Amino acid sequence: MKSLFKSKPKTPAEIVRLTRELLIYIDSNSSSRESAANKTKREEKMLELSKCIRELKCILYGNSEAEPVAEACSQLTQEFFKENTLRLLIICLPKLSLEARKDATQVVANLQRQQVHSRLIASDYLEANKDLMDILISGYENPELALHYGAMLRECIRHQSIARYVLESDYMKKFFDYIQLPNFDIASDASVTFKELMTRHKSTVAEFLTKNYEWFFAEFNSKLLESPNYITRRQAVKLLGDMLLDRANSGVMMRYVSSKDNLRILMNLLRETSKNIQLEAFHVFKLFAANQNKPPDIVSILIANRSKLLRFLGGFTTDKEDEQFEADKSQVIKEIAALGPSI
Amino acid sequence: MAVHEEENRKMSYPLDPNSYRIFQKIGCGVSATVYKAVCLPMNSTVVAIKAIDLERSRANLDDVRREAKAMTLLSHPNILKAHCSFTVDHHLWVVMPFMSAGSLHSIISSCYPDGLSESSIAVVLKETLNALLYLHDQGHLHRDIKAGNILVDSDGSVKLADFGVSASIYEPNSSQTSSSLFSSSNLWFNELAGTPYWMAPEVIHSHVGYSFKADIWSFGITALELAHGRPPLSHLPPWKSLFMRITNSLRLSDFEKCKTSKNKKFSKSFKDMVSSCLSPDPSRRPTAEKLLKHPFFRNCRSGDFLVRSVLQGLPTVEQRYKESLLSQHDPQAVVDDGEDNEESGPIEKHRRISGWNFNERVLELDPVFPTQDKENERKGIRYDGENIFQANASIHAEENDQGKSNPSLSQIQSCFLDDSDADNDANDEQDKVEKEKLQMDLGIDRNNEDDLVTNSEEQEEYEVTSTCTTVDTPTVAAAPLVPVLKLIMDSLEDERQVLSNLIAGISGGHIEPKPEEDIHETIAQLSLQLEQERKRSSDLEAKLEFFRKTTTENTEDISQSIYGVQCSHTGPINISI
Repeated sequence: MKSLFKSKPKTPAEIVRLTRELLIYIDSNSSSRESAANKTKREEKMLELSKCIRELKCILYGNSEAEPVAEACSQLTQEFFKENTLRLLIICLPKLSLEARKDATQVVANLQRQQVHSRLIASDYLEANKDLMDILISGYENPELALHYGAMLRECIRHQSIARYVLESDYMKKFFDYIQLPNFDIASDASVTFKELMTRHKSTVAEFLTKNYEWFFAEFNSKLLESPNYITRRQAVKLLGDMLLDRANSGVMMRYVSSKDNLRILMNLLRETSKNIQLEAFHVFKLFAANQNKPPDIVSILIANRSKLLRFLGGFTTDKEDEQFEADKSQVIKEIAALGPSI
Repeated sequence: MAVHEEENRKMSYPLDPNSYRIFQKIGCGVSATVYKAVCLPMNSTVVAIKAIDLERSRANLDDVRREAKAMTLLSHPNILKAHCSFTVDHHLWVVMPFMSAGSLHSIISSCYPDGLSESSIAVVLKETLNALLYLHDQGHLHRDIKAGNILVDSDGSVKLADFGVSASIYEPNSSQTSSSLFSSSNLWFNELAGTPYWMAPEVIHSHVGYSFKADIWSFGITALELAHGRPPLSHLPPWKSLFMRITNSLRLSDFEKCKTSKNKKFSKSFKDMVSSCLSPDPSRRPTAEKLLKHPFFRNCRSGDFLVRSVLQGLPTVEQRYKESLLSQHDPQAVVDDGEDNEESGPIEKHRRISGWNFNERVLELDPVFPTQDKENERKGIRYDGENIFQANASIHAEENDQGKSNPSLSQIQSCFLDDSDADNDANDEQDKVEKEKLQMDLGIDRNNEDDLVTNSEEQEEYEVTSTCTTVDTPTVAAAPLVPVLKLIMDSLEDERQVLSNLIAGISGGHIEPKPEEDIHETIAQLSLQLEQERKRSSDLEAKLEFFRKTTTENTEDISQSIYGVQCSHTGPINISI
């Protein structure tokens, strides 16, 4: 990477300050209705800003010639969070060029992991500026920004307190729509973030699911598991398995597998033509069957469909040998076969 | 702002399948098909649509996601960008600009079996380098540079395509958490990814992993591919080419041989440029930035030159694809709009192929040695399978043959190994000594190589015939495990060889009675040693075979989970070790 400042090297802190000044300039000078001279000046500043951000990235990540220096990273991080640089950067992102946006995203991502005096000061900053999450999340509604804001968001929710904030915000409901956006890049980015939210911080997730069980699974079932979109169903049923099979969520799991509506949905997923979906659905379905305290209505559904289920399971194989799967399958078959006399 | 306009333009491509009318298939593979289509609401702009079957690319969706993201976020005139992507039931449609002249592989196959002129090569390579420079600057490795992934439009513009196996240093695969995540250690990859003939030695086999310079190697191979119409070593089965690569020896000689046999003269600057890319030591290969300043690219012409010198009179991509189907050429021969998934296509065919078909293939390979069969040259040059799956098949075949100790084949095989490996290792050794001497050795090598070629061809024939017999047995399911083990075993053997060679060479050099004879003696010794090693390894393989049979398909699953073998839509293999 060629350095802009080779003649007069600036310290990391100075580059951060320069970046901040340029961001303030860009933020306060809108591009509409301005003189030609102003416009030229603005473009120059823009160019300088892009170079600064590239410079920050180089300090944080190193380059082909040099590895990052801990001291420089630490200085940069401290200066960055001393003032509102992150907010400015996020707000100004739409005005940056594609390359500068990518650099900025990588800088923000890296800063989340930088420790200063063994503290993640990014976390402290974000806790005081939680509203930034709102900007990042609503980025999914803007195709031009979605991938950049989305990547920043995923780094921010590495901090447990920030993840909790997002989980408890109203934005959680929006994710059910973002995941199904027609644009594949954005929808899949949103679903990666959603999965991260629902699986990363176990205790927080368990607490969230317990508190929000009703609406969350109502949405999850109707919008995701019963979505007309193949990829939404496939990802959702996989995520459901991951969530329910997590030890931290055992209470939620017990509740989920005691509902006959849930059983019906999973049984329908077992009938899909997609092998991938069938397989993931089986990993949830087995929980219904293995439950030692099956409610009567679950039992009666299983008994009513016993012969069909046994026939299906008998012929249900994976393309590749899977011992765990076979063991699970024979146990499920045993459980179903052992249920009371048929009605 | 230009970026802005582009984004807007991009966004206006509709995200629903009814807005597109599909004309015809222009390429297909195991899990993806590429169509020529028009976008109706946009004045029927011609586009290429790659339809990836998400149900069949059963590797995780993350790869598909990564490819789509790369194609959205990379923005460079020499990189093929996706207009948009959306799902249609269980397919992902990636809508891309239609590059009407198709890939350089397809162009060469159909019209330039002997390769392109140097000035055309310069144009193509320079544009490709621009793309590489941008990619590397972005922290991206392409990992599958080859003529099949370089596309040309009717105006002569050149674009690099297919990010199916690309990787970014900023996006680690696993969820690493350490704060030193982005230290230089992260610049190193260990996955085996790419297409065998183009793979750098350190990708195939390395203790420290590989990085951007692996792309430079593939770039060098691509230069040779453009110059000769095929990549070096393509007369060998892919796995054998990998083997050769680790010994570092056939490379230069192969290049020389092609040059002389084709009566093609290349400029000094071209040869210099290529050999710098093919330095066995990655750190000695130039960066993309440095390469662009190489004298070979000075006075480079523009895209117009390509239009006049290469594209004129070229059949359309559609015609070429149809032709390839009619003449039963493998679909790989026509790489369309950048999707080289076609490569996976032949596998399926191969598995069902009969020995007869393969004999045809041997003829097809003849143009590779035009001095012998000039009249046999055909338009569509084909390489043998480019896919590791085929490599697996060959390995299987070999195992079986060794297991059953089919005498004729094992003879051929040992001949082959004696001739090539020992000689080449000797060459290798001298390579380090003197360059002058190398020339001489190349002369020797050339002779040997002709034998070698006949041998390998014969051998291939056997191999594939026996592949067919093994295909339906469960052993095939375990295939992904084999090449890795094989590679490890082979490379260990090689290292031993090189070492003992060196030792022998050095001690021989001190006494210096008759160096020539000494070398021959060493070679004889080494061949014996190799023979023994071979036997031992075949024993091992027999054992492996046994284990595999007992565990039947189970093994595949294990290997899938251990090695993360992905038979994804990307075609080229992607194995992480």
